[in-house]
Amino acid sequence: MLTTIFRSVVRQGRRHPLYIGINVFGLALGIGVFLTLAMLVRFEYGYNSGLKDVDRLVRVDTKSTPPGNTPTESESTSFYAVPFLKEDFPEIEESVRFQEQDLQIQRNGEFASLHGGYVDPSFMTTFQPALMQGTQAALMRPDGLVLSQSAANRLFGTTNILGRSVTLNNDGEISQHVVTGVLRASSIPSFLSDIGILAPIRAEDEKTSPCYTRWASMCGSVYLKLRQPSDIAAVQARLRDFIIRRASGSDDNYKSLGPHPEKTYSFKLVPMRDARFYDAHITEPSRGLDQNVLNGIGAIGLLALFLACANVINFGTARSVLRAREVAIRKTLGATRKMLFLHFMGESLVITACSAILGFALSEILVQEIASLTGENIRIAYDFVLEILPLTILICGCASGIYPSLILSGYQPAHILASARMPSGGRKAAKLRNGLVIFQFSVSAVIIIIILVIHQQTLFLQRANQGYVTSGLLIGDMIPSHDIAIQRRIKETLRTVPGVQASTFGSLAPKPEERNMWEFDYISPHGTAQVNTLQDTVDNDYVSVYQPQLIAGRWFDLSRGQDQMPNWNKNPNTISNVVINATAVSRFGFIKFSDAIGKIIESNPNHFKARIIGVLDDMRFESPREPVRPRILFFNSLTVHPYFKPIPAVRFSGVPVMQMEQRLQQVWGRNFPNIYIEFQTPTARMEYYVHGDEQREHIFTLGACTAVIIAVLGLYGLASFAAARRVYEIGIRKTLGATAKQIMLLLLTEFLRPVIIACIIACPIAWVLMREWLSGFNERITLGPTPFIIALFSALLIATLTVLGQTLRLAYSEPARALKTE
Amino acid sequence: MLIKLMNIQRLYRSDEIETTALQNINLHIEEKEFVAIMGPSGCGKSTLLNILGTIDRPTTGSYHFGQHELTEMNEATLAKFRREHLGYIFQSFNLIDELTIKENIELALTYRNIPKNERRKRVDHAMDRVGIGHRAHHYPSQLSGGQQQRAAIARAIVGKPRLILADEPTGNLDTENGAQVMDILQSLNDEGATIIMVTHSLSHADLARRRIDMLDGQIVVSVANAI
Repeated sequence: MLTTIFRSVVRQGRRHPLYIGINVFGLALGIGVFLTLAMLVRFEYGYNSGLKDVDRLVRVDTKSTPPGNTPTESESTSFYAVPFLKEDFPEIEESVRFQEQDLQIQRNGEFASLHGGYVDPSFMTTFQPALMQGTQAALMRPDGLVLSQSAANRLFGTTNILGRSVTLNNDGEISQHVVTGVLRASSIPSFLSDIGILAPIRAEDEKTSPCYTRWASMCGSVYLKLRQPSDIAAVQARLRDFIIRRASGSDDNYKSLGPHPEKTYSFKLVPMRDARFYDAHITEPSRGLDQNVLNGIGAIGLLALFLACANVINFGTARSVLRAREVAIRKTLGATRKMLFLHFMGESLVITACSAILGFALSEILVQEIASLTGENIRIAYDFVLEILPLTILICGCASGIYPSLILSGYQPAHILASARMPSGGRKAAKLRNGLVIFQFSVSAVIIIIILVIHQQTLFLQRANQGYVTSGLLIGDMIPSHDIAIQRRIKETLRTVPGVQASTFGSLAPKPEERNMWEFDYISPHGTAQVNTLQDTVDNDYVSVYQPQLIAGRWFDLSRGQDQMPNWNKNPNTISNVVINATAVSRFGFIKFSDAIGKIIESNPNHFKARIIGVLDDMRFESPREPVRPRILFFNSLTVHPYFKPIPAVRFSGVPVMQMEQRLQQVWGRNFPNIYIEFQTPTARMEYYVHGDEQREHIFTLGACTAVIIAVLGLYGLASFAAARRVYEIGIRKTLGATAKQIMLLLLTEFLRPVIIACIIACPIAWVLMREWLSGFNERITLGPTPFIIALFSALLIATLTVLGQTLRLAYSEPARALKTE
Repeated sequence: MLIKLMNIQRLYRSDEIETTALQNINLHIEEKEFVAIMGPSGCGKSTLLNILGTIDRPTTGSYHFGQHELTEMNEATLAKFRREHLGYIFQSFNLIDELTIKENIELALTYRNIPKNERRKRVDHAMDRVGIGHRAHHYPSQLSGGQQQRAAIARAIVGKPRLILADEPTGNLDTENGAQVMDILQSLNDEGATIIMVTHSLSHADLARRRIDMLDGQIVVSVANAI
């Protein structure tokens, strides 16, 4: 029987290459896209699952709920808390502090930037990463260093590098290290996948850095390994008391969080297995992925498969009438319905199996594309393919074959053989075909609309008014030097680079690496408004470089002494002049921007006073998904104090961006060879926030292309079939006087009717989906009719082009020939 | 007696129209008979042949084939009955385009689970019997009408059926090919096969042992031919 089925499929392919070709190609495309996206979904769901004892591993997040401000949750936690945690919770087996950052390796006067950071030596025993070289004690040496497999290859061209020396340049501070371990690359994704370099936390930092000595400092992540998975809930339940016991202190105690820390501060234990999806909903997620988006991508994969199966069903039922006579003959010769049903199901399974092989080959290509799109180390998982592909063949083969097989095997031979004309296939089958075409085009139209809206929103974010002039602006990295003379020299050097019009320093820039939050209170007759503000310090050239919009009051003035930020520790009663942003104005409760001018605000808990002299329009430096934070700007003209880690920026003109970047890098390298810095446009820095949306747009585009191609194949096949069936009818119509134009109009209307219905169904679905998606953005486009109209016309245009050839051929056919054919 | 039809009636209903295709058909056919059915278009010849061939069911009446009462049988049993006892020849040949001539002929045997070697022997014999052995590996579209009909006859006889039903077997053939087909049918009858043939050709009908004339769904004349 198998031989008969194979032979039948091969001969069908020879006799009807279009039909078999469309079926196989459509199904291969659907299976290929399904396999690829299934592998992506599996990859992401497996995040962190390869870590040893993952069910006992947690990250300690910090939740902050300052009064009058948006609550935040950060994956960073005070390192100061860690010794207390270990002391108070016997359930903790291991703890790890991880100060995650890019580390600069200096070799032969050049820098190589690697992502990683400083960690406790217990990092190795807690996570037990696979090692190519060295042991789990690799970070016990204070000068030890662990590199990833790829970092070792990049730096040394080999992984056999134990004992090799490496020079680290940490914000200008040089330290010598010895390679004591090389991490083996893992095919299972985890937060370890991003790590290129690990060095032990420096002893002097532990003693002096605020990161290790204050509750309020949050410089990195804290990981805990508990003794039992059930300890997670037990520890979580006692963390509030822990905060009260350990973090409270008087207002004067700078190490503490004040008298009632539990009111605004809490810890949340995040199981490492859930961290990937959990992180999508915390503030400033670094590795988060929205589970709904991932599920949406998986759903697109399933839809692609479903659309392809719908095509096979469509063709199967449409073409079943062409095989009716064959069925009648077989039945006359004694075949039972069961025999024929099994035969046609077998054909469907064979076609699906051939398509699956092609689809698998296609997924080999697509997985690489997806890997480059997402930046993830996704590879073809052959074990997974071996599991899922036979199941896919079985399900698709049965799903797509069962209905046509039932129809075919159910034909009554007497009717078929008695009929001079081809049987119609039945009204039910015709309705089903139309329904499936409507479904296919609905899905295609929904995905087209989704892409258009994502694209519009991404463009909007890129082009939206950021509150400053983004073109002609280049921004450097944070400068580690605290020396005022060096900082002045840097500013002057940058200003003199040909093409540069002005240079400036600020504490903040687009995608800030560090943020200082400072609470200020405004006491008015109506009450006290407490506002947690983002602190920034700028110089007098800031306005020329960033060109923000001053919407009330004035900008800082070098000639006015009170504009200069005072040393409040020495002179606590000095009133400093400050500029605030529009969001801060509304948070302080001022009705008009000008109402804020001249008002005094007071820092909490230090009670330092500041006078508002100006209001800037909001400048967006952070994720467009989040509201702009209240911001307070202090003035530092570099005459008295140095900046703490300033960020340089230049305004330039008359030079292309690339050239300007090169000039700046060259000048920098010559003048400050020991400090690594890279200049980028604000758009490039903000890319971090929209990168995920762009990736999603690409993946959705892949889904849309697949859906459209499959739908087009389906429509083309059905149009061909309908054209073949209607030759006689058109012949009669023309004989009765119908013109070619009338025939064309008739056929086009009939072919396009399901497409129009599909668009009508798709629009409200896409509208609901996109309204939900856009609500996640603080700044967003208005969901207008444009993407819907474009999708409608695209679908109609694609459908028209698809059926045009068949329509023309039919409309201009000679009636005599048509009637003779019949 | 091989066939006994009693009070056969066949009605067709579509929407609100009821058409009587056959009414009050009583027919006895003996083993090894060669019966020709004649009549104008639409008189019910093919419907009668379909009922005889069990690919259509009568609305009322009974149909005995040997010891079998066929009107009570389910679809699967009827299919088994067809592959064991009946052979069909159609006016339009009804060969499957995707199969070669040999495969078309073999098809009737594949449903009977006959071993491959035995199938080959029988197919070769049937092809030789009708003179198309040299066309075994050709497809139907590569053959002339006469050759196709001979292939269809080979397919009908390969299962060694007790009854051969031929629906206008010469209707699509020229005189020469028509004559050749009738020669084959006659010789098959001479060898012991029972044949029922629908035809419009009086000369071909005269070659049968008995002639039945139909009109408006009824048998009006049933006469033995003088051979």
